[in-house]
Formats: sequence, C-alpha cells, structure tokens
Amino acid sequence: MPWVGGVCDKGVVHAANEDAMALSATPDGSLAILVVCDGVTSAPHSDRAALAASRAACSHLTAVAAPRSDSVAAAVSYWSDALRGAAAEANAAAVGVAHTLGDPSEPPSCTFVAAVVADDLVTVAWCGDSRAYWLPDEGEARQLTLDHSLGTELMASGKSREEAEADPGFHTITRWLGADSVDHSPEFASQSIEGAGWLLVCSDGLWNYASALTEMRTLLLDLIASVGSDPVPLAEAMVDWANAAGGHDNITAALGRCDPSLRLKRERTSRG
Amino acid sequence: MAEFEAEVFQNEFLAEGATDVHAVVSVTCTAAGKAGQSGQGEAAEIIIVDTSGSMDMPASKIVAARRAAKVGLGEIVDGTWFAVISGHSVAQMVYPTHPGMAKMSDVTRREATHMVDALRPGGATAIGAWIAAATELFSQVQTAQRHAILLTDGKIEGEPSHALPQALEAAQGKFQCDCRGIGADWVVDELRTISNALLGTVDIIAKPDDLEADFEAMIQLSMSRGVADARLRVWAPQGSEVLFVRQVAPLVEDLTAKAVQVSPLIREFPTGAWSDESRDYHVAVRVPIAPLGNERLAARVEMVVNDEVVAKSLVKATWSADANLTTRIDPAVAHYTGQAQLADAIQKGLAAKAAGDDRTATVLLGEAAKIAHESGNEDTTRLLSKVVDVVDAEAGTVRLKSNIEKTDEMALDTRSTKTTRIRKEP
Repeated sequence: MPWVGGVCDKGVVHAANEDAMALSATPDGSLAILVVCDGVTSAPHSDRAALAASRAACSHLTAVAAPRSDSVAAAVSYWSDALRGAAAEANAAAVGVAHTLGDPSEPPSCTFVAAVVADDLVTVAWCGDSRAYWLPDEGEARQLTLDHSLGTELMASGKSREEAEADPGFHTITRWLGADSVDHSPEFASQSIEGAGWLLVCSDGLWNYASALTEMRTLLLDLIASVGSDPVPLAEAMVDWANAAGGHDNITAALGRCDPSLRLKRERTSRG
Repeated sequence: MAEFEAEVFQNEFLAEGATDVHAVVSVTCTAAGKAGQSGQGEAAEIIIVDTSGSMDMPASKIVAARRAAKVGLGEIVDGTWFAVISGHSVAQMVYPTHPGMAKMSDVTRREATHMVDALRPGGATAIGAWIAAATELFSQVQTAQRHAILLTDGKIEGEPSHALPQALEAAQGKFQCDCRGIGADWVVDELRTISNALLGTVDIIAKPDDLEADFEAMIQLSMSRGVADARLRVWAPQGSEVLFVRQVAPLVEDLTAKAVQVSPLIREFPTGAWSDESRDYHVAVRVPIAPLGNERLAARVEMVVNDEVVAKSLVKATWSADANLTTRIDPAVAHYTGQAQLADAIQKGLAAKAAGDDRTATVLLGEAAKIAHESGNEDTTRLLSKVVDVVDAEAGTVRLKSNIEKTDEMALDTRSTKTTRIRKEP
C-alpha cells in the first residue's frame, strides 16, 4: 500500500480544474513531498500557473539531498530553506507562464502549499489559503498553516469564525504566486512526528466544507472507517464528500500516512 | 577522540529599540566512543534498588526490580567500576558486600547477580541516605564518569525532611542519576528534584514488566557516553543579561539556575556526559539597545570538555529598520517556542490541583492544553486529556476531571518536560 496519495478534481460547479498537485515519495517512508496550488479563478489561465508552480516546487524539493545532521533544529532550518527555494522556483514558474502568454494585464496566479515529510519531521511552507493539517491518530490535531486571506485578518480583529466566513471578503487571498504578486514570500511551520498520523495538504475546495480543525479531523476519521487507510481511495472519498456537499470549487486532497513505528521496523529489518 | 560541532539558528535582526535575542544552538557530538574507554578516565555505575516493605505489595514489584537490576548488570561494560545498593531505612551494600566498588568482569557479574536474587523487601524509604551512600561509594574510585540509577516505589518516610536536600547538595556534580518510579505511590516532585540536581531523567514505569527493557536502555545509553563531562559556556557582553539557557531537545530542561559564574561575562552550564548525539539549546539574551544598522555580538556559545573549548558558535544582533528582516521568526526557534512554557504550566497546574486550588489549576492546565495544541505536542495533549476535559484547545478552555487514575496524573507530571522530538533508536 502506498503511503502518499492524492486526488485533484474539477468539482461540480466550475467549468475547469484550476487546482494542481505534485507528489513524490520514497518507498521506505522516509521522505515525501506534497505540493498543492490553487489557480486564482479571476485571472485567466491560472490553471497553467498552478500546474507549472506545483511541478517546479516538487522537482526542486526532490532534487534536494537529505540533511547530514540528526539535529532537530538543523533539520527544521534545512527544510525551511529548501522550501523557500521551492516557493521561489514555483513563483518563477508562474511568472514564466505569464511571459509565454505575452504578459497579460491580469496575469495567471495561484496559491502555494508544500509539505516535506523527512523522517520524523514535517516542514511546510505556504502562500495563500491552501492548507496543511497534521491529524494524528492520538492527541490533538493541528492546522499547520494560517491562511493568507482577509478571512484570517477578520478573525484576528476579533470576529468569530462564523462571522468571518459570512463576510464576502473571507476568501480574498492576501498572498499568492504570479507576475502581479506583491508578496510571494512563504510562511513556514514545522511539526515533529511522535506517533502515527496523517498529513493532509488541500485546497479550499475541500476545507470550505470543514473549515474548523475538529470538523476536518472528524471527516478524516469517518472516511477511514468507511474506505480504510489507503491514501488514494481515502483522498478520493474526501473529494467525493466535498462534491456531495456542493462542489462549488475545484477540490484537491493530498494525504501522507506517517507512522514512525513502521519506519523504524523497516530500518531494523534492512539492517538485518 | 570525540568531536563536537555547534550550529546557531537565529534571526539576528532586531527592530529599533528591541533588546531580546533568541537563538537555538544545536550541538552534535560524534566519535564519542565508550564510557571509560576514551582516555578520559574510567567509568562507574551504581544501581540503587528500593527494597522497602512496600516493594512487596504487590510482590511483582520486587520481582521486576530484581530482574531489571540483573539486566542492568548484564549491560555494564567489563572493566567498569560498579556497585548495587539496596535501599530501605538505610542504604545497604548488595554488591560488593563491603562498602566499596568492584570492577565488572564475568566473575563479579555472576556474584552480583546472585546477590541481587537474594534481595528481600522490608523497612522504610530513606532516599536521602541512599544518595549519600552512592556519593560516598563514587568518591572511593578515581573515575571521570559516574552514573547511577535509582528505582523506587514510595515517597520518603523514615528520614528527616532535610536529608534529601543535604544529600543532593553533596552529590551535585559528583554523578548523574536517572530516577524511575514504579507503581503509583511515589512522589514525582521528589524524584524530579533528584534528577534535576543530578542531570538525569525521571519517568514512571506503570507496569513492572516494562522495567527490564527500561534498565537495559538506560545502562546501554550510559555506557555509550564516551565523553565524561561537557559544559556549555556562554559569554554575553557587558551590560547584557542572559534571560535563560534551556535544553529543548531531546528533553526540555532549564539550565538557567545551574549557571556557574566563571568570570563577570562568562557562565558555564553543566550538560553531563555525551554519547554520539545532538542536543538543541534555546539561549535568550537581553542586550543593550544599539542604533539602527549596528551589529553586535549577543553571545558566544561554546562547548567545553576538560577546560578546553571543543566547539564554538556566535549569536548576533543587528538592528534594522527593515520590517521584512526583523519580523521573520527563525523556523528552528519557532519550532521550540512554547514548549518550555508548556512544561512549566503543567507542573504548576498539577501542584495547584494537588493543593486543592482548582481555579488556578484549571487556568494553568488550560494554558498547557493551548500551548500543547499550538505547538503540536500530541503526546502531552494525550496525557493532559486524561487529567482534564479539553473543551476548546485553541482557546485553552479545560475542565478538571473529578475521577483521575492516580497513575495518569503522575505520568503527565513526569512527561511534561519531553519535547515533540522522537529519540532515535540506539
């Protein structure tokens, strides 16, 4: 069974799929890269920007060698730097798409979220409102990203989640990749993996219907109970669920199953 | 010969008027060798087994303790000085039978194993006396590296309250001690006082059957520490203040109060013995304000072995008007921020609860739940959820549970200093 998988879907309402994802994983469970980009619908050809950006980030990260030290601080720092590079490559790719289109006044643009699972550490970088979650089997779940959006700013100013989500500006992103981006610098977060759990990287087409952390966790657990824990059927079930809920936007769900105990067992076996 | 490397992770840029510099210094030791075999002198190991009357209730405790001590003897490398102490109302020699230490060999290991088999419970718990006995034994051998394991199931009864603090004062800097509590009748605070003073760890062994594996791991680790004693040396400039020095991985341990002032600007913090490993330290220094554009050295952080600097690193401060530079948080610093507050909130919260101050306990444990949630410390969150009902982790709202299994509360207390770092398999 693979430990990383994802599904990228057009959804019900939109005419085209402007989401994109790029995934990579080693068979031994020690390294995975999950990148999701969501093309901005108001800018034409953003689907091409999203695809180019996600592929550029993923190939940049797959080419990075593993850090040499086993220090946690060093690993966090190392992967954050690698992700900064990946975000720059992704932005360059999105800008490149604008050039090939003759630099339109409304250049194609997209959000960006990339997660690296390296041994027992998850490091993420993001720009915009696509998200990454750490959803452990035991213990509290964590949303690793904080949307760069007016919605976040509304909540920061004291509005409740419900009030903020009712505001028409909620989904307006404040950072993105592309030729007209004012600020394409990513933010970073990291998480040590202590026990088995799921890394979820997704676009707003999914989290719109489960915006609170607890809802997302419940959704995942419910779907595992019905389709099992193979990441591909599970991601498919998440997308099906979002489509059933309305499918108002493109939907991307990428999952990584992180289980340190399995990895250690494998290491021991390989040592003989 | 062991090699040390120190690497600094920080955002050196400070906004105008800012004074606090935070850095994570990651120290890695390689080629540490084996305890007592790397030219720094011999190693010594003492196993202290509680044989007070309560170890017989249930009898599985003394049975497990005997087995664990024997496994421990099996892991002590030949040539190491060692002794086994039976602790009850007094400290009694188990092996060797005279008050002294023996050299580990096939013969002494067999004899010691035989003596451990004969351990019988009876009497009170006088941990201060046991620590004092270990200090005395260690003083009889010329060794560079001294380590003890203390196993107990009860709280101190049968010696005056000043016995332990006195014994610890005499023992500090003489040996390192890992403490293990078995069952639910021991007092976390007592053991933590010991492990903190003696640079060791403290943990609960809820099931007697788990004791053997734990002893095996502890002694294996002790034997792999080829560097007998290393110190973290922090130099901070005139007019600055070292706010804190904390180890943040693999375990959270505040070293601030352990500082030894070497000279007006230099302090040293004991870090004990090292194997091939990495440890992360969070250093915070308050420096005098400098004008925009100025770069200053905020601290020099060095590792010192045998009074020789074996690794050095520089923590800097640069004042800048560029908010893009000054508002950035270093990812490694961000990774650890919150974790130390977490341990503090849990310990104070449980103390308040024990004192019957439910209001303070609820606030502090709520704070802990919030930090654990924000920093993704699932292990702590899981333990915490056994003591409180987490109503809203993001807001830090919790309700104290009324019926808590005593063991749960203790497990939370001892584990509250672990970070979210996974320890590598040996």
